[in-house]
Amino acid sequence: MRKRSAFLFRNKGLLWKLCGSIAAGTVLLFWSIDLLVQRTEQRMSHISEHHRQELNAYGREAERIFSEQGETALAEYLLELQERESTWAAVVHSNITPLAGSDISAYFNSGILLGRSTEWKIHLYFEFNPVIEVPFIDKHHHFLIRLPQRMRPGAFFPLTQLLLQIALPLVLMILLSVVLYRHVMNPLRQLEKATRQFSEGQFDVRVKNYLGVRDDELAALAETFDHMAERTGTLILTQRQLLGDLSHELRTPLARMDMALDCIEAGINPKESLDRLRYEASTMRELVQDALTLAWLNNESPTLDQEEVDLNELLQLIVEDANFEYPDHPIQLIEEAHIVLEASSHRALGQACENIIRNALKHSIGQCPVQVLLSKETAVNRASDTGIPEQSIKITVRDQGGGVPEALLNNIFEPFFRVDKARSSDTSSGIHPESTVMTQQCSETEQKKSGGYGLGLALAKRQIIATGGNVRAQNIYSHDQRRIGLEIKICLPASEK
Amino acid sequence: MSTAKILIVEDDKTLSNQLAALLTEKGFCTAQCFDGQQGLLTAYGEKFDLILLDVLLPTLDGFSVLSRLRKKQQTPVMMLTACGAEEERIEGYTQGADDYLPKPFNFKELILRIDALLRRSMPDKSPQQPSLTLEQDGLILCRSQQQAIFNDQDLGLTPIQFKLLWTLADHRGEILNKPYLSQVVLERAFSRYDRSLDMHLSRVRRKLLDAGLAPERLSTVHGKGYCLQ
Repeated sequence: MRKRSAFLFRNKGLLWKLCGSIAAGTVLLFWSIDLLVQRTEQRMSHISEHHRQELNAYGREAERIFSEQGETALAEYLLELQERESTWAAVVHSNITPLAGSDISAYFNSGILLGRSTEWKIHLYFEFNPVIEVPFIDKHHHFLIRLPQRMRPGAFFPLTQLLLQIALPLVLMILLSVVLYRHVMNPLRQLEKATRQFSEGQFDVRVKNYLGVRDDELAALAETFDHMAERTGTLILTQRQLLGDLSHELRTPLARMDMALDCIEAGINPKESLDRLRYEASTMRELVQDALTLAWLNNESPTLDQEEVDLNELLQLIVEDANFEYPDHPIQLIEEAHIVLEASSHRALGQACENIIRNALKHSIGQCPVQVLLSKETAVNRASDTGIPEQSIKITVRDQGGGVPEALLNNIFEPFFRVDKARSSDTSSGIHPESTVMTQQCSETEQKKSGGYGLGLALAKRQIIATGGNVRAQNIYSHDQRRIGLEIKICLPASEK
Repeated sequence: MSTAKILIVEDDKTLSNQLAALLTEKGFCTAQCFDGQQGLLTAYGEKFDLILLDVLLPTLDGFSVLSRLRKKQQTPVMMLTACGAEEERIEGYTQGADDYLPKPFNFKELILRIDALLRRSMPDKSPQQPSLTLEQDGLILCRSQQQAIFNDQDLGLTPIQFKLLWTLADHRGEILNKPYLSQVVLERAFSRYDRSLDMHLSRVRRKLLDAGLAPERLSTVHGKGYCLQ
């Protein structure tokens, strides 16, 4: 999990997205708004077309009156015009006289301007209105008029400015926020939905697929959720399965105990029935203890690495016990190396090896020996880039009990797994004797052989994992490709001295 | 030893009564308590040789009873736990408990363990000075120097191995069960899959065989224990 959260922080997709959209977006937004405001101001600074014509018409009219009716009539017109437009208007004569013998450029011969042309922009930031000039044809008389208030352009400019500088960014930022919110919330909503479904008992719900091709922090979160859902779901389901199987397994000895009690009451073989009771009780006790150990290993995934374990001695002891318990089955211990593991657990490894060896003995047919091989292997670990050959300790247990159907090899490490339950149609020699239905007529030793198998390998596997190793099963084939036995290989990390 | 007084603190009355009846039948003196508080008071008030203590108890759970009890006295305590699987964890909780037995257990195993605990904690009936050396058919054990010699060869035993061999030699001809040896030699509770005792014994045996001991003298009695002839 630590790796995963590191991954969450390493993948900064969302950060870049936020940087891109908020930082760069904001700069871009304000730059474009500024540009827009400038353009609009420019466009709004010109006097509108019909006002321009009106002003020009005033000029032409003044010129006509001056040339046709004389100055008095012009004065009257100007007075009337000033009143009408409530502004100031005048007609002046300009005559440029160069002084001190200086020269004048030809540019001024065509006259000079005393006011602003109607074509020019009006500075909207000046409070007062400028004086506009319409020159007479001779260029030396000028009709001047302070721009009447009604003709002043940019009446809507303050409003436009308000719109551009406040409303537009506001709207755009709201839009951006909504987009970002949706971008962030969509996966969160999926996650919320999935969490709710999960809590309602849908353990197969996964989020990553709904997120499309996203690859950012939220995708990592979804992945972590999926991982958690996977693990928790599997845990709950296996636990459920385990509980079901366990109660099923307990039913048989319970039924036998009931029968034994009835037998005692009826006075049939009371001695034998008492033995039966004692035996069934011990079966149940072992089953319950194994199930609890399994649940503990499953739920808490403990790491067992506190002790030093001499594997040779451990295996010798187990083989010795097995020889005693199964006197009819030969067992061979081949020790290729002397191995003392430094950080491991006696109890875990002892129980694991014992269960695997017992399983092999249980399934051995006739006098074929069970082989237990302890060896040290050196292999270049491709996963680590150091290229240093890594040593691993192997304990190989081989039986000749016909093996297991190839497809079910991994399932044998599941609690209460039986080959016949999974594939009742398989009638080849590969079926382990454990699949045969136990009958009351079985002798005690035969029952012992098939009793307790349901959890043995499952426990072994979890114990081995808890000590940092792993375990694999594979079939052994004869020269003519017949499946003859099962090989279980325990691989332990070489933390030996 | 059979007059030892045992306090049973167990809230299941049926189980408690069964235990009391079986223990009385074996010659022990028993007292019963059905909750933690009562159990603690009884343990304070009277002297017991052993306390069987359930973990899940009304009013005060077994671990609390144990920790309070330990502040005052060192009476051997055997915890009866319903969670047999989590032995490693129980060991953490039960620091101060002398043994723990996961439920369900059978009476035979309980008796074996009670026996082992009492033998460890109760002084021998003969308070004579325990001998410092043992000598039997070529085997010489010297306690003060922790030295074991067979056929004039020093076996070079570790302290635990010496203790194991001494215990076996001290009870020559007697089959000593594993819970007892675990209590006396390793001074810790025995658990079914714990092989440390077997390992120590196997090392002692190898050293003895190397020195020329007849293999049948140190024998493993399967399902029962070990015996030195």
